[in-house]
Amino acid sequence: MTVPYSLRLSLQRLFGEIWINLLSILTIAAGLFIVCLSFIPVYNLDVVAKKLPDKFSMIVYLDNSLNRNEINQIVNSLKKNKEVNSIRYISKEAALKELKSTLKDSDFIFEGLDENPLPDSLEIKLRRDAVDPNVVRTFSEKAARIDGITEINYGEKFLSTIYYLKIGLQTLGTIFIIIMSVGIVFVCYSTVKILFYRRKEEIETFKLLGASKGFIRTPFLIEGAFIGGSGGALSLIGIYLFSYIVFFRLADKVPMFKSVVIPENIFLSLPLVGILLGITGAAIALGRLRY
Amino acid sequence: MIEFFDVTKEYNNQTALRNITFSIVKGEMVFVTGTSGSGKTTLLKLIYLAEKPDKGEISVAGWETEKLKESGIPLLRRNVGIVFQDFRLLNNRNVFENVALALRIRNMNEKDIRTKVYHSLKTVNLRHKSDSVPEALSGGEQQRVVIARAIVAEPILLLADEPTGNLDVDTAAGIMRIFNEINAKGTTVLIATHNRELFKNTGRRVLRLDSGNLVGEEAE
Repeated sequence: MTVPYSLRLSLQRLFGEIWINLLSILTIAAGLFIVCLSFIPVYNLDVVAKKLPDKFSMIVYLDNSLNRNEINQIVNSLKKNKEVNSIRYISKEAALKELKSTLKDSDFIFEGLDENPLPDSLEIKLRRDAVDPNVVRTFSEKAARIDGITEINYGEKFLSTIYYLKIGLQTLGTIFIIIMSVGIVFVCYSTVKILFYRRKEEIETFKLLGASKGFIRTPFLIEGAFIGGSGGALSLIGIYLFSYIVFFRLADKVPMFKSVVIPENIFLSLPLVGILLGITGAAIALGRLRY
Repeated sequence: MIEFFDVTKEYNNQTALRNITFSIVKGEMVFVTGTSGSGKTTLLKLIYLAEKPDKGEISVAGWETEKLKESGIPLLRRNVGIVFQDFRLLNNRNVFENVALALRIRNMNEKDIRTKVYHSLKTVNLRHKSDSVPEALSGGEQQRVVIARAIVAEPILLLADEPTGNLDVDTAAGIMRIFNEINAKGTTVLIATHNRELFKNTGRRVLRLDSGNLVGEEAE
């Protein structure tokens, strides 16, 4: 029976103190909106980084003097490494053919070439968990020591940049999200504390009539949940409007926006996140109050 | 029902009650009297645990208050109806809701609340004022709302602190009639008042306080 009455009491109080509650809701909505905006680049970089292992490959160039047996020995030697997922042999003829098909509109480049300038090579695909700048560098250094391998190419700088950018943004994002969450909890904490002091006399009467702590606390927790949840819902609406305007309507003019992925499933949990932060703020406020 | 044994209460080294010992049996109606500052309100506050004694032992309806945990205080208070000197009515609620509050904290269902609140308001002759806010009522009517709230949950003990404080003689007599009816139904009643007229020739027991000391205990 407590909950329905507490709910009624909370709603009466929420609408009775409309301005302070509205201000708190807007503050929380703005905070969550900023968190979401900063989360979009982190999320997109993570998506790119996750796709990287499937597309990543190392090209190992072989000495032109090697015969087929020696190449097989190199392949077997490379396959012994746990990082290796698959190895594809590309003969110099196949490599030239592939290059010609890639550059078919610029085939004048090949005019005057009497012999194939490309070496035999191996395309190595690594296991997903091995596509890490340090692991790849160690493997590359180890492979380079094998006789018959002349050069290894894997876009080291690109790989490192993506990974360190991802880690950097993740760290910054996490710190930012923690700071904003603490801020949101503080907003709910302050709101509940103010509301509590404004109703101190009423609460004192409740106590003298025999109300339990639960009876006194529940409406405040509901109010915290409502304020946090409303802030979350508003920020969700805000982020959808923003995504629609920036990433869909402007995508025609700024093609870069076309490839931006909006983490909708995560954003849909914003009201729930708001509720949890609101209840947390209210619970901390009630825990610190003497009554 | 109530037992005080050698109870002392001080505020900032000022003694409010000194070595008070008395007992009230179940079903009794007792008055506590004395001048302002004699300790009447403190005595009542010690009973409903708004204050704790510095010395001595208090037992209320079987609860030994010094052994009662904080979580047990609401339970004790739910067995005690209190008519506060300052009314403690909530002006943002109407009369019905003010009275109903005493039942809502007991998690009673809505149907029972309606029945009991209207019955209680009828007892104090305020059934017709259930939708009014306290501020719109006279002093006597507000006092009766407080009584209705105190009796609505049928407490085993009723405490009243200056229940006729600023009321005219007729209204005060009306309120005393209500207390007598409640007591006749078996509720123990303890009334703190400075008004001798309330207990004169009633045959009820009167505890006399003077500067925190219990100086007399006799039937009028």
